[in-house]
Amino acid sequence: MSLLIQSIVLGLLLGGLYALLAAGLTLYFGVMRVVMIAHSAFLILAAYLAWFFSTETGLDPLLSLLVTVPLFFLIGVGMQRLLISRLRPATMTMMSVLLTFAIALTIEGLLGYVFTGTQRRVRLSYGGGDFEVFGANIAVVKLIAFGLAAVSLLVLYLVLTRTRFGQALRATIQHPEAARLVGINTDRIAGYGFGIGLATAAVGGTALSLDSTIYPSLHWHWIGPLMAIIVVGGLGSIPGAAIAAMVLGLGQSLLQIPLGTTWAQTFFYLALFATLMVRPQGFFGGRLAQRF
Amino acid sequence: MASEYLLELEDIEAGYGRAALVLRGLTVKVPPATVVCLVGPNGAGKSTVLKVASGMLTPRSGTIRVAGQDVTGFNPQKMLGAGLSHVLQGHSVFKEMSVEENVMLGAYSLTDRAEIAERVDFVKDLFPMVAERWKALAGALSGGQQKQVEFARSLMVRPQVVLLDEPSMGLDPKATAIVFEQVVRMRDAGTAVLLVEQNARRALETADLGCVLDLGRVHISGPASELLADPQLAELYLGGRPATPTTT
Repeated sequence: MSLLIQSIVLGLLLGGLYALLAAGLTLYFGVMRVVMIAHSAFLILAAYLAWFFSTETGLDPLLSLLVTVPLFFLIGVGMQRLLISRLRPATMTMMSVLLTFAIALTIEGLLGYVFTGTQRRVRLSYGGGDFEVFGANIAVVKLIAFGLAAVSLLVLYLVLTRTRFGQALRATIQHPEAARLVGINTDRIAGYGFGIGLATAAVGGTALSLDSTIYPSLHWHWIGPLMAIIVVGGLGSIPGAAIAAMVLGLGQSLLQIPLGTTWAQTFFYLALFATLMVRPQGFFGGRLAQRF
Repeated sequence: MASEYLLELEDIEAGYGRAALVLRGLTVKVPPATVVCLVGPNGAGKSTVLKVASGMLTPRSGTIRVAGQDVTGFNPQKMLGAGLSHVLQGHSVFKEMSVEENVMLGAYSLTDRAEIAERVDFVKDLFPMVAERWKALAGALSGGQQKQVEFARSLMVRPQVVLLDEPSMGLDPKATAIVFEQVVRMRDAGTAVLLVEQNARRALETADLGCVLDLGRVHISGPASELLADPQLAELYLGGRPATPTTT
C-alpha cells in the first residue's frame, strides 16, 4: 500500500516538472507554430549551469536561477528574432524541427566539449533528506523541484491572464492576424513568448539538477515524453499541457511498479498514439491544433 | 487643405509576392459617415483593397490618405492610429476569451482609462447584445453575435473609417439582417464604413455609395440605389433583374 502511495506522490511531483516544461514547449507552438526540439537541450544546459555554479561557488544551485532565467529569456528572444522569424511562414512548423534539432545537437556537442561526457551530480547538504507522508518516503529535493515548477507555473498563469502582455500573447496565439489589427506588435510578442518558453527550461533544468545525474545527451530522454504531453494536451494549450503532464506523469510512476522504469516510459508514447487515433486535436486544447 | 474624404485610395497597384497585380490603378474614396460598398466577381480584388487600406499589404504604387494625411506604407498598428479599423472576413474573435476581453483588446493601443471606459459604454450602447453577453466566452456565441463582438472591438479606438470584409459570410438570413442593421447603426453613429460583400444586392441596399470592381479596377461607381437600379449591372453582377423600388 505504501508503495502505491509513494508512486502516486512521486508521479504527482514528477508531473509538476513535466507540466512546467511542457507549458514552455506548447508556448512556442502556440505563438509561432514552432516545434522546439531544442527545449530539452536547453533544460540540460540549465542543469549544467546550475551544477557548475554550485561546484564553483559552493552556493545553492537554486541561486543560479538569478542568472539563468534572464539569460535564457534573452537567448529565447534572440533566437526568435534572429533565427525563427527568418523561416518562411508556410513551412515554419516543418523547418523549425530541422533548425531546433540542429540547435539541440550543437548544445549537446558544446556541453560534451566543455564538461566532457562524464556524468555529473550536484552535491547538496540536504540532498539525502526525506520525510514520510502516509508511509511513503518523499525526498526533500523532489519536493523543492515540484515547488519550483508549481510556483513558476502559477507565475506563468498570472502573467498570461492578469497582464496586458499576457492578454496580447493569448490573442496572438488565438488569432495572429486579428491581433495585429487591434494594434498588437505580434513579432515582439512572439519574441517575448519564445523567451518565456526558454525561461521555463532554465527553471526546469535547475530543478532537475537537484535530483538527477546529468550528462550531455540526457535531453533525448526528455524530449519524447514532453512532445507526447503537448499533443495529448492539445497543441498550443498551456492548461492542456499542464493537465496532460500531471496525468501522464502519474501514469508513468504507477506503471513503474509492475513494468519497471524503461517500459513505464512507453506509457507516454502509447498515450500519444491513442490520442492521434482517437482525438488528434488533443484532449484539452483543441481549436488551435485543429487548424494545423 | 482639409480633404472632403476620410479615406482616399488613389491609383493603387498591389499584389501578393511576385505574382501578378491584383489591383491595377484602383481609386476609391470614402466620405464621412457614409457606407461605401465594394462589389464585384470573385478575384476582382475586393478584399485586397481592404488589406491595402489597413496596412496588411503594402501597395506597389499609389497613395493612401486618411483625412488628408498621407499614410501610404503604414503598418496595421500605424493605420489604426491614423483612424482605420479592419474587421476580417470570417470569424476573427479571440474564441477562448470572454466578450469583455475581446472588446478590451480593441482598446489595446489606448492608455487613457477614462477614454476606454467611455468607449466601452459607447459600444455597449450601440450593440446591446455585447452588453448582455459581456462575460460570455466569445467562442460560444453564434456567428452573428461573434460578428457584433468584432464590430464592437473595431470601434473601441474611435476609428474614422471601419473596413468590413464580407461581414455576412457564413451567416443565416436572420443573422445577416442583424449584421447589416448594425452596419447602418455604425454609420449613423458617425463612423464611415468601407464594406466588401459577396452578397452584392443586400450590401448595395445598405450602402450609400457603391463601387463595382472588376479585374482590379473600379468599373463603375455612384449612389448605391442607382447601381441597384441599373439593368446592365444587375445582369452582370447582381444575378439578374434590377431592384424594383419598394414603398414603405
